[in-house]
Amino acid sequence: MELNTIVTMVLFLGFVWGGFAFTLRMAVKKNEEKKRLSGESDG
Amino acid sequence: MSEQREIFSSRWALILASLGMAIGAGNIWRFPRIAAENGGGSFLIPWIVFLFLWSIPLIIAEYAMGRKSRKGVIGSFIAIMGPKFAWMGAFVAFCTMGIMFYYSVVTGWSIRYFYTSLTSGLAGLDHAAEWSRYTSSGYGPVFFHFLAMSIGAFVIHRGVRGGIEKVNKVVVPLLFLLLIIAAVRALTLPGAAEGLNYLFSVDFEKLKDHRVWLEGLSQSAWSTGAGWGLLMTYAIYMDKKEDIVLNSVIAGFGNNAASLLAGLAVIPTVFALSASASVAMDSLGAGNTGLTFIVIPQLFEKMPGGAIFETLFFLALSLAAFSSLLAMIELSTRIFMDMGMNRKKAIKVVGVTGFLLGIPSAVWLGFFNNQDWVWGIGLMVSGLFVALAVIKYGADKFRKELVNVEGNDIQAGRWFSIIIKWLIPIEFAVMLGWWFWRSATEFDPDAIWNPFHTYNIGTTLLQWGVVITFFIVFNKMLVKMTSNGESQDGA
Repeated sequence: MELNTIVTMVLFLGFVWGGFAFTLRMAVKKNEEKKRLSGESDG
Repeated sequence: MSEQREIFSSRWALILASLGMAIGAGNIWRFPRIAAENGGGSFLIPWIVFLFLWSIPLIIAEYAMGRKSRKGVIGSFIAIMGPKFAWMGAFVAFCTMGIMFYYSVVTGWSIRYFYTSLTSGLAGLDHAAEWSRYTSSGYGPVFFHFLAMSIGAFVIHRGVRGGIEKVNKVVVPLLFLLLIIAAVRALTLPGAAEGLNYLFSVDFEKLKDHRVWLEGLSQSAWSTGAGWGLLMTYAIYMDKKEDIVLNSVIAGFGNNAASLLAGLAVIPTVFALSASASVAMDSLGAGNTGLTFIVIPQLFEKMPGGAIFETLFFLALSLAAFSSLLAMIELSTRIFMDMGMNRKKAIKVVGVTGFLLGIPSAVWLGFFNNQDWVWGIGLMVSGLFVALAVIKYGADKFRKELVNVEGNDIQAGRWFSIIIKWLIPIEFAVMLGWWFWRSATEFDPDAIWNPFHTYNIGTTLLQWGVVITFFIVFNKMLVKMTSNGESQDGA
């Protein structure tokens, strides 16, 4: 495989899959935060 | 009888349902082919750019409209634009229903090929002759279209939590798993690197070609389902404090991630198993159905363990198509529920109508192709209508009042208003103009206005014109019927 291909493949897959993973992770964190805050206000 | 409104049980249920809607047959049978035909890596750049400049802003708008109105597409347009514009919502709904009629046929083809590869196998057949025999047999495609529509109607009949949510919780992770298996197998084939070179190499000269940009925009518009009214419908079942912006970005990235996996599965396989790069390119140019139902079965025969991977491939295609079909059936069902029917009655109407109106596409490929062209292009109009709804409400007001509400994880900035107000109308005009220009110069240059041809401007304008005129004439009735449903729905 050509070096250029490896670089662009990493960039494209990194951006799309990385973006997907990053936003999912952010959603998990925000959800945990919301749960914690609602727990605190209930308490 | 009054029904209690259902809500998705969690954020993840909504995200999985949205991904199930977005990831459809187009990710598997269209994306790899269009990417390969338009320069691989050079195509991926505009395809990603337009994810942010068309798809995600429209997904945000759809979620916000559905969550605000708690009504299906027609009711949402009435709530956001006012009763005079019910016809716009009806056009968006009809366009997606028009797609549902033949999309059920596509789902049926996929199920039939999965079933055959699982039982008797497809090996040893003349695949071109088999495809031609099957699609002209009449009863076969009608039976599998009936099966797809019936299973879909059964799931929607079970409701949001018991049907849509349960099915997508299984189907979407399984679909990703199958695509990963198919991609890993493709990448371990000798000669797969040539396909990867083709898929990921960027030729900056190609970026000067307007066609690459317009194909990227069109693929992003069709593949994510943005502007179809489907997410507007799912948003009815969102929690009032549910995030909109981050969920929209997740749905967009997830759809593109699935497309790239499909590209990694299909393009290296085609290059590795074809006699030469030019043969591989010819195969990828065989059209959606030609590539999927003729070329891919031929290629799998040359591969060790090909029968197993062929079965997995058609299972993935069936699941992708089915999860999108579910969203289309729910959109249609919701329209009738808003008119006062309960879910059971509405799904009966949608199931029977969907089956009957899908039959012409099941028995006649010419009709199928015509509907795919007319309503596929119609989705661009739907996207414009969603943007116009936001503009009519006031783009900044919409963003502040309906998008950036309590519970949002990310706030939409002014970029949202600018894209919706300025970029989307321009993108629409350029995209529609380009497809019409292609139709007049490439697809059917000798009969541009003949409404009885498959791929021309005449058939498109006639069918859109009839539908839009009908809904404008009966606009008042649409408003009255849609508001009748309020007491039936527990809203």
